[in-house]
Amino acid sequence: MTNAEITNEVRDINLAYMMLAQQMLREDREAAVFRLGVSEEIADVIERLTPGQVLRMASSNMLLCCFRFDDRLLVDLLSDHRCDSGISRLHAAILAADKPVETLS
Amino acid sequence: MRAKSIVNEGREIRLASELVRLGARLQLLEAEINLSREKLLRLYKEVKGESPPKGMLPFSTDWFMTWQPNIHASLFMGFHRFLSKNTRARGLDAIVRAYRLYLEHVELNDLESVMSLTRAWTLVRFYEARMLQLARCRRCGGKFVAHAYDLTDNYVCGLCHVPARAGKVRRAVKTVVTAIV
Repeated sequence: MTNAEITNEVRDINLAYMMLAQQMLREDREAAVFRLGVSEEIADVIERLTPGQVLRMASSNMLLCCFRFDDRLLVDLLSDHRCDSGISRLHAAILAADKPVETLS
Repeated sequence: MRAKSIVNEGREIRLASELVRLGARLQLLEAEINLSREKLLRLYKEVKGESPPKGMLPFSTDWFMTWQPNIHASLFMGFHRFLSKNTRARGLDAIVRAYRLYLEHVELNDLESVMSLTRAWTLVRFYEARMLQLARCRRCGGKFVAHAYDLTDNYVCGLCHVPARAGKVRRAVKTVVTAIV
């Protein structure tokens, strides 16, 4: 993959992410905050962005969404295929729901 | 005070029928919805096509302590706490939203929906009345439903330490039935 290809992919993912986030927030705000893992404040910012602003934000060489679960056990549980997956995903969901959301500093 | 405005009444009726569809019992509707008992009864029959179950709501906190109900209850409480902490949803609204997230998780993972909306509502009431607390598991750090006043310093959750034959009851019954057939 060349650098140009990578930045293209990053831009596509950014655009898809921002548009999906806006749509989710407009349809069911509370569920969207849960799914996105962001604070109400960030949700407000995302929701108010104009299409032009979304485009400008998306055209960056950095991904706008980041890895959400910085917890070793949680990552293990989510990627575990060996034991009863329903139970390990239930365990993961209990731990994940307790994690703080991303906030504006 | 009874809702006099027709618009308000319409809103209450819509909320009530949604609650009935999600599995609310009449007692929950009576406590949360501003409509007369007769109207709620008629609404229940119309939506469900049957009379509401009679008798009292389950009033024991023990149900939430057995293995399977406990993890499902803890999952629901996890969603409920997330919404109360991070969104503006409160009261019944928060319970219904958390319950929808719970149902979604259960369906996505092919699990049985052990908790009904009425159970979830009762759970939140027990929690708010301090009959139940959330205990932090010493191993995974997750929060799980426990009796109030239980000593929880060395608490280990039912998922870190799964008891023998946990959750096997129903499957065992099924195999017996097929054996008989």
